[in-house]
Amino acid sequence: MSAPVVETHSLAKTYGLAPVLREVDLRMLAGTGAFIIGGNGAGKSTLLRMLAGLEAPSGGRALVFGQDTRRLAARYRRRIGVMAHESFLYPMLTARENLEFYGELFSLADPHSSAQLWLGRVGLAEVADVRVRTFSRGMEQRLSAARAMLAEPALLLVDEPFASLDHDGAEIVASLLRGAIERGASVIATAHAVPEIDGVEFAVFEISRGLLLPHAHKEEVRRGRIRSLLGR
Amino acid sequence: MLRKDLRLELRSGESTLALLALSMLVLVVLVFALDAARVRSVDAAAGALWVAMVFAGMLGANRALLAERDNGAIRGLLLSPLDPATLYAAKLAAAFIFMAVAEVGAVILMVLFFNLDFDGSTVRLAPILILGAIGFSALATLLSAITGRTRGGDMLLPILAVPIFVPALIAGVKASAAALAGAPFATMGDWLKIMIAFDVLFVTAGYLLFEYVIGQD
Amino acid sequence: MNNSAIRNWLGYATLALMVAALFMVFDYVPPEAEQGIAQLIFYFHVPLAWVAFASFGLVAIAGIFYLWLGDQLWDDLGYAAAETGMVFCTLMIVAGSIWAKPIWGTWWTWDSRLTTTFILWLMYGGYLMLRASADDTPQTARFGAVLGIVAVLDVPIVIASVRLWRTIHPAVLVTKQGGHGLEDPRMVTTLLVCLAAFTLLWVWLLMLRFNQLRTHSRMGALAVRIAFATAAADDGK
Repeated sequence: MSAPVVETHSLAKTYGLAPVLREVDLRMLAGTGAFIIGGNGAGKSTLLRMLAGLEAPSGGRALVFGQDTRRLAARYRRRIGVMAHESFLYPMLTARENLEFYGELFSLADPHSSAQLWLGRVGLAEVADVRVRTFSRGMEQRLSAARAMLAEPALLLVDEPFASLDHDGAEIVASLLRGAIERGASVIATAHAVPEIDGVEFAVFEISRGLLLPHAHKEEVRRGRIRSLLGR
Repeated sequence: MLRKDLRLELRSGESTLALLALSMLVLVVLVFALDAARVRSVDAAAGALWVAMVFAGMLGANRALLAERDNGAIRGLLLSPLDPATLYAAKLAAAFIFMAVAEVGAVILMVLFFNLDFDGSTVRLAPILILGAIGFSALATLLSAITGRTRGGDMLLPILAVPIFVPALIAGVKASAAALAGAPFATMGDWLKIMIAFDVLFVTAGYLLFEYVIGQD
Repeated sequence: MNNSAIRNWLGYATLALMVAALFMVFDYVPPEAEQGIAQLIFYFHVPLAWVAFASFGLVAIAGIFYLWLGDQLWDDLGYAAAETGMVFCTLMIVAGSIWAKPIWGTWWTWDSRLTTTFILWLMYGGYLMLRASADDTPQTARFGAVLGIVAVLDVPIVIASVRLWRTIHPAVLVTKQGGHGLEDPRMVTTLLVCLAAFTLLWVWLLMLRFNQLRTHSRMGALAVRIAFATAAADDGK
């Protein structure tokens, strides 16, 4: 069995004195997707941030591509794409300029054509040279998705990808996620409720009281090793 | 990276100009405070110049990092393969350029307000001011990454930066006054050495320490 | 507990030495010919200076260790050193001022030593303000460490530049190099005793404060563990 793309061992996180996440054990292999659902403040975003290396865990370890997330070398960060509530976009630059900038940042061979390609894929080709400041929230979200996938990452961490998207936008993002998995990438996404995405099997987990649990309604293929209430 | 920052600067043209104007205003205030019309003094002129410069430097360093606050772009950068040292260099360069532009304006105003002459002595100010700008930008960029994220915020930056900058400030003002009075560079040797030492020290320190300062959590 | 026994012992030793120091300064050592009684401040001023700078150095060293090892212990040490150092630095400035008045007639003079101390005081103040205005997180601790390191790197340059500043424009009131004309061996002894006394005082205060901060940190960690355990216990329901 190939090495897991993402692996955590008893991952825990506290904010001040409140435990947000505890004993999270997760294992994701290449080409798999997982959705993590939970209410507001449940810790979904925190988990993603720790996997991305933005936050250090309070306890336990998180490994991405076999590397501890606290000290992710540049060549591993290149293979991670993140899409979050914040768009990471520069409002005063155009869509194209934003993508080209990130393309250069991620050492793409040809940032210009990559930018052009992805602008088309997310349906923003017509507004390519318009400043992001004027974009609607949905357009920003789509551009953010393009930015995340620009470098063809092996691991996609997506925080509530369907929030503030209309039906078309959601379709686009869903197909992007699907495409990523078909390419062999791993996708971890969060949402409030179980989403419907045709064509791919997603494992579904739930964060409840800081624990990561399999969602009661879905059994799936290749899920991670998890401590659950049922096991006690 | 720097290219992007510069483009951003140009795009947000209005606010940049406003801040530059603010730095100039400081000079004006000093003109009246020191009664420049009556007193023809290179010391006063040099002092006023450096006050305006430091002011501009703080604004410049703040702005350089401010660009990344929108939409959390700083996290986008942290997540990318970009290494913190490069980010530091880019921010330092942006702050330096801002400060340098302000310096040019300040020098012009200084000569005008303090009844000095536009001659060789003014030109000889250039290397001194550049050394000062490098040092202050290096320091302020590092510190503003700290102050930007604490509750004290922008107020805290001068409190932290100024005492640390004092040696370079003393050296800079003394050297500038000497240059304006027509002294050759040889006599300013000690002051220049201090400024160079300061610059080397703090650019290096900034390179090494920046990564500890911009991480999240 | 062994720790508090050491601290108590240290406290008594400090007390003893301080008493000895006071006795020596006021009773034993002959006053310097030129400055009279006021010169006695020197015996306090110099040790205070040494302690203030040493404490600052400690802040930076603790900062380096904290950035390198990540153990909260180093941050607690650095913070304790900063607070303690601030106390001694303030005392030093006050002492310097008291010394200046009878000798030179003013409360303050921009001589090289006082100026440098003042800058040091400002840097201490900045550090404490930074720590006060931010939450108690590892990130704030990192900020403190970086600031401490940066400030300490600056100190030699400050000393050099201020000295240069003052030699070119000597202050109206000439600096008394009060330390270097110690003719009488009794002066040397007194100075050494005072140095020892103040150093001990510093160490004692430092340890007190350090222990306080350590306990605070440990309690915090404990509270977190309890929170986790409680949550885990609740799972079983």
